[in-house]
Amino acid sequence: MHLEATNRTPEVSISESVLEMKGECYPEDITAFAEPILELLAEKLAACDSFSVSLELRYFNSSSAKFFFDFFEVLEESAADGKSISIEWRYRAKDNSMKEAGEDFEEDMEEADYQLVEI
Amino acid sequence: MDSHDFHKLLLSRGTFFCYSGLLSEEVLSAISGIVREQVSDIDHDIDLTTRVFGIFIEQAQNIIRYSEERLAEGGIGTVAIGHSKEGFVVEAINPMNADKMLSLKGNLEELQKMESKELRKAYKQRLREGPPEGSKGAGLGFIEIARKSSKFEFDFVESPELLFVLKAWIVP
Repeated sequence: MHLEATNRTPEVSISESVLEMKGECYPEDITAFAEPILELLAEKLAACDSFSVSLELRYFNSSSAKFFFDFFEVLEESAADGKSISIEWRYRAKDNSMKEAGEDFEEDMEEADYQLVEI
Repeated sequence: MDSHDFHKLLLSRGTFFCYSGLLSEEVLSAISGIVREQVSDIDHDIDLTTRVFGIFIEQAQNIIRYSEERLAEGGIGTVAIGHSKEGFVVEAINPMNADKMLSLKGNLEELQKMESKELRKAYKQRLREGPPEGSKGAGLGFIEIARKSSKFEFDFVESPELLFVLKAWIVP
């Protein structure tokens, strides 16, 4: 799956063992954006032993926060099932909003390897 | 008010962006990119400008979802952004249902009293519990505005329909 970025949605690419997302996330319709990604992620996780995720967001709105919460929950559950899951939350230096958001999500990750990366 | 007075009024209060009328997701898509650019042109601090933009989006989506005066595509309201030497201000005004005033007032007063740590906790708790009844989003919008603003104020004005006014300041 490869989705080009729009001014309201990030670039998304999902392959067999890697998911990358980069850009801004405040879609017109969060469900329409989120569902195919969460479905495909679940499919790829079921079929692999290890999976890595790289997120580089510049902004997401509060409706999208729920999507990211669900997204991380799926990854954490998969890690709890014994898969090797690594997540990179990349944020721009000085971007405290995105740094803090990354820290918020980090709190719930115990089994998955979660790294905050300043870029 | 004459047109030129309106023009001067906006300039005198530092309002560099103002939209009034039907606000829909489609309209928001059309204006959000330029708003982001305008804010970034005024100030280059990415943290400050992301907060301003984020509050603008939450305020605009509140109007789209909850304005009492509406069309199929969205709600009627006004959203504006101003800048002065102190910082930015994002304002939104929309008609609202009087029955919801007391619960909204209580909710916002509670948020106003919270420190940043408490707001962060409230935000996470809401994420875990999911949206409250009657919410058309994640139920996080006001918590997000409280978290990202330096302070916010609200008012309910009868003119004669009930107007909800929300003003958030974002300073470095």
